[in-house]
Amino acid sequence: MTEHICTPGCTHGITEENKKDVVEEFDTARRSFIRNAFVGGGAASLGAMGVTMSPMSFAAGANTPINADAPGQMHYYIPATPETILWGYFSKSAKPTVEIESGDFVTMETLTHHANDDAERMVKGDPGAESIFHWDAQRKGVDRRGAGPMDAKIGAGGGAGVHICTGPVRIKGAQPGDILEVRIVDVTPRPSGNPDYKGKTFGSNAAAWWGFHYGDMLTEPKKREVVTIYEVDATGERNWAKAVYNYRWTPQTDPFGVVHPTIDYPGVPVDHSTITKKENILRDIRIPIRPHFGTIGLAPAEAEMVNSIPPNYTGGNIDNWRIGKGAKIYFPVAVDGGMFSVGDPHASQGDSELCGTAIECSLTGTFQFILHKKADLPGTSLAELNYPLLETQDDWVLHGFSYANYLAELGPNAQDDIYSKSSVDKALRDAYRKMRHFLMTTQHLDEDEAISLMTVAVDFGITQVVDGNWGVHAILKKSMFPARS
Amino acid sequence: MTDLKRFSASAIPAELRQPAWNEILSRLGLASDAASSIRNDDSGHMALSVSARDSVFVQLTATPQILSPIVAKATQPLQGTVLVLALLDGTAQVLDADQTVKLASGDIMLLDPSQSWRLALQTRFRIMLIKLESSSFLLRLVRTGRQEANRISTQQGIGALCLNMLQSLTEQLPHVDNNELPALEVTLAELLVACLSHKQSVANEEATDVQLAHLRRVCRTVDSRLDDPDLNIEQIAAQEGLSARYLQKLFKNSGTTFSEYLKSRRIQHCCIDLANPALAQFSIAQLCYRWGFNDAANFSRTFSQFMGMSPKSYRASPPQDLHEQLRRGCPQTKPSARSLATDPQSFLQDDDIQKRRRPFQEVLDDHAKYALSLRLAPKRVSDIENTAPTQTDTQSSRQYYLPVSDKTVHWGYFSNAIKPVLTVRSGDIVTIETLSQHASDDCERMIDGDAGAQSVFHWTGQTKNVDRRGAGPMDATIFGRGAGEGFGVHICTGPVYVTDAEPGDVLEIRILDIQPRLSCSPEHQGKHFGSNAATWWGFQYDDLLTEPKKREVVTVYEVHQHTHPPHAKAIYNFRWTPQTDPYGIVHPTIDYPGIPVDHSSIDKQFGILDKATIPVRPHFGVMAVAPRESGMVDSIPPSYFGGNMDNWRAGKGTKLFLPVATPGALFSVGDPHASQGDSELCGTAIECSLTGVFQLVLHKQRDLKGSFMDGLSHPFLETPDEWVLQGMSFSDYQAELGPNAQTQVYKNSSMEAAMRDAFRKARHYLMKEHELSEDEAISLISVAVDFGITQVVDGNLGVHAIIRKAIFPDYQAD
Repeated sequence: MTEHICTPGCTHGITEENKKDVVEEFDTARRSFIRNAFVGGGAASLGAMGVTMSPMSFAAGANTPINADAPGQMHYYIPATPETILWGYFSKSAKPTVEIESGDFVTMETLTHHANDDAERMVKGDPGAESIFHWDAQRKGVDRRGAGPMDAKIGAGGGAGVHICTGPVRIKGAQPGDILEVRIVDVTPRPSGNPDYKGKTFGSNAAAWWGFHYGDMLTEPKKREVVTIYEVDATGERNWAKAVYNYRWTPQTDPFGVVHPTIDYPGVPVDHSTITKKENILRDIRIPIRPHFGTIGLAPAEAEMVNSIPPNYTGGNIDNWRIGKGAKIYFPVAVDGGMFSVGDPHASQGDSELCGTAIECSLTGTFQFILHKKADLPGTSLAELNYPLLETQDDWVLHGFSYANYLAELGPNAQDDIYSKSSVDKALRDAYRKMRHFLMTTQHLDEDEAISLMTVAVDFGITQVVDGNWGVHAILKKSMFPARS
Repeated sequence: MTDLKRFSASAIPAELRQPAWNEILSRLGLASDAASSIRNDDSGHMALSVSARDSVFVQLTATPQILSPIVAKATQPLQGTVLVLALLDGTAQVLDADQTVKLASGDIMLLDPSQSWRLALQTRFRIMLIKLESSSFLLRLVRTGRQEANRISTQQGIGALCLNMLQSLTEQLPHVDNNELPALEVTLAELLVACLSHKQSVANEEATDVQLAHLRRVCRTVDSRLDDPDLNIEQIAAQEGLSARYLQKLFKNSGTTFSEYLKSRRIQHCCIDLANPALAQFSIAQLCYRWGFNDAANFSRTFSQFMGMSPKSYRASPPQDLHEQLRRGCPQTKPSARSLATDPQSFLQDDDIQKRRRPFQEVLDDHAKYALSLRLAPKRVSDIENTAPTQTDTQSSRQYYLPVSDKTVHWGYFSNAIKPVLTVRSGDIVTIETLSQHASDDCERMIDGDAGAQSVFHWTGQTKNVDRRGAGPMDATIFGRGAGEGFGVHICTGPVYVTDAEPGDVLEIRILDIQPRLSCSPEHQGKHFGSNAATWWGFQYDDLLTEPKKREVVTVYEVHQHTHPPHAKAIYNFRWTPQTDPYGIVHPTIDYPGIPVDHSSIDKQFGILDKATIPVRPHFGVMAVAPRESGMVDSIPPSYFGGNMDNWRAGKGTKLFLPVATPGALFSVGDPHASQGDSELCGTAIECSLTGVFQLVLHKQRDLKGSFMDGLSHPFLETPDEWVLQGMSFSDYQAELGPNAQTQVYKNSSMEAAMRDAFRKARHYLMKEHELSEDEAISLISVAVDFGITQVVDGNLGVHAIIRKAIFPDYQAD
């Protein structure tokens, strides 16, 4: 979207030059964070892992002395710590980690909830990850995992929602009816904290019981879960990932003594003495990386705590690999302050996320937030938007779900019922209606024009078939329409 | 060297006669039952000659016996050939399951060696049997399963000429070199085409019959020698054994002169070539040399004189009545001659001279018509066209051109019983014209002036050139929509028989190029149009916002090929109104293909989608081999044999692999699209006629071990950067759904099932071709394979899986 419709006089446009500054700034912040962590050591470091804030150096001008009190865009840094994340749910009433103005930047660390599949590579030596995944017989770093009851048999929160979501970020002045634009300025991998794997990043792909393939296997045992560990280049020089090894999930006993015969609760540390690793798999295969955030969105209004798994009208676990660097995504604001969270980082994923997960791999993202007030929307591409709309370099991507707002449509048991009611047909129906709406509202086509155009020029793809509320996306090329003045 | 085998029964010991007899017959693909009679008969004779093109000429004299084709030996590439039988002496019957055709001395009949029939020679007989290679199009010309129609009348006219030629051939066979035989083959094929499309001459005056016959003969001779720049009337006269003065008189009777006629024939051929977009890469000079003009300037002058414009501007814009000229004959020096036949009023006013002239002119007109049908019959491209640029190694491959006409299409169905229109070998390159079945949405833009399209879409109160449209009953007893009931809608060009292809093999179709089929109407000369219909079978039909809730809307697009990048723009749209077809049936919805839309009954909206510029993705919606099941198969649901996959990735530079299900594979292509989005939501794409250049490569089953092609049971598409696995709700719906499959598939499809199928095919491919374990394959699919919705409107819904080749940097296809 080329038009600028936020507050007058703001300068939030990102150019090639200042993008570099943002990246640099982010690197500086990260270095200082790591340094602090090492200096402080142990529990003391947690104090250093709080949210930091600095004015945007490039916004203020490189040569101007930094004045923190001056108005202008701010750049916040939110590390991943037990205090800055919600595990497995969105909540409109959670305490915000930070409150920002429209136009501000926030760099947010996100952790994959699959890091404990190989703690050696993905948790060890990383204070943020260690603090979140901490789990001994006495204490869990983060007890609630999911929106379920705290006394659930398999663990607190019942694993009703699995993603570690950093946030929420509260946007000042955001009110229901507004649209929040989130620009993904940068995405970088989180290097392994273990000195043995210096310069590398790892991710885990679990072919799990909720995958599309489960029960439809050729080889025995027909019902198995397999975890594949992938390596990604942390320096970003290599644009592909490769497999390291895989293993079959065996029943795991968590530190509280609960046995997990399947992957039914997030963050269970896998005891590598119980598994058999198979090396030399997927040899000579390069998986092009598409770093993105699987879960990104605002808090819905319908419930206090909402399972992070099914995506919905305010976003959430959309699992579209196009939500990466350079993309902008627009969310309808449902509650005061918007309450933005992000998590479920992926190094790569195919359309459909067939086996249940992507290459789940911790990433850090830098986002800019721009609030579009309701009154300014008519006549823009955001008019009447009531679902997450993605804009990439070349395309608009509209997200259809089996249920556009399952919380409202399915009633009080929505969070359970959604898993048994989804279908690709329904999701395509939703995507079709959204695309028709978008073309009629923002391009002023009549219904017949919209239908002909989307038939001959819009591509419908299967986003995911594993997140309860299944997704079909519709891709519209921006180049088909003349640029707006 | 003459490959002539002579067989004289008396020269061979009795016990060896029958094997020797049958050995020669087997060259024709025939066997005889005459075990005892041959042994006891010492007067049987046979002479056999094989041409450089592998056609077989056999003259037989023997006692009564029954000949029948060796159908069991299916490995013999008999399909694609035609047997021409001339019964010179004796009586005979041709019997098949349905009927018996009696033959008398002097009859000629065409026989299809791939069918099962018996030729009962009831008396002592003398026959000429010719197995013509690559001439199966002859059988298509008669378009009938009834043998009766394959009999050629030899009482008079062209049929008599044909018989004469065969009679003299029996005499001269020993003296004709096998390198001279191909010329005879070509002539014979041309004569047969003429015979089969010839209507009985109704000359009243006995006296002119002979003259008319002479004129026909002369026309043919002239046509066969158009490429000779030195051709003159004396040569023709000498060749025909007639005097030059007599020839002059014949032409004078027709209202023209020999040299005018010669020029007009040449110009006419040039017109056809100039208007043929497939020959666009040849210069005007190259084309005119081809037809006997040895001087480009002279040609240009003559052309302008005849056509009223230069060849260059003609090529840029062939005139409106191109089709008329092609059908009715030459660009006449006397325009009145053409109006004669169509205007009975003026005919009544004609004087005696013109009355006498009329049969002669008809001969010329008819001749032009046959010439056109010959041009529209598939054949090997002559040497000049062999220089067509192709990216692949064409060292040993032959090139063919398959024009689209009512003789070369099957409309709305697949079947392994359709007679091939062309036979090729593995590696050959075929340029195939295809037509959109939606062209009749706007006849002016997409049909008018286009001879091929007109021949396919022709439909008046009396005649419908392609009657069967769909796999339904011919008497339309189910819905009454029309012959075939529109159970299947796509105009498929083909089938093409691939020599040696057998079930278990894999046919690779390389799409080397795709060219637009430009409008021939004078108003829209050289532009390219397509139609998008939002129909009752579309995903949107029951889910509309605005009134009327159930409507069908046709949007006509213009495709701009020469912009960068090429794109399409909408011109206008209209709501479908009940259309009455030429047979009087009303079609309230788009329920039957090719109904000419009466533009006075519709309301066109212009200025629609004026801001939208649609990128084009030219591709073919339908590419298929014939199904293994017997009977006719609806062309709409895609299946294991390919068919209506509607995946826009099947464009230029891609390769499609299909499992061969029937001998010869029988490849057909149609449903050309200028562009389509994944899902083809409203029911159709930008449906727009295209011409494709295909190379057909056969992979024999024995060579496939270890490759993904071994046991391939579904279409597999390879683009330059990706492999695309086509999942369908039912990967083989006929096998899965039983006897009512063709109905059930429309009711029982779901996206989940298609997704499931795509997943399984992707897994199978990765495990087989890339030797991954199942766990590896599943992980890879989840993290790197994209699933998209191919189409939701073709009954058997489609989901495709896209595997990027970059994932396998070291992969080398075997």
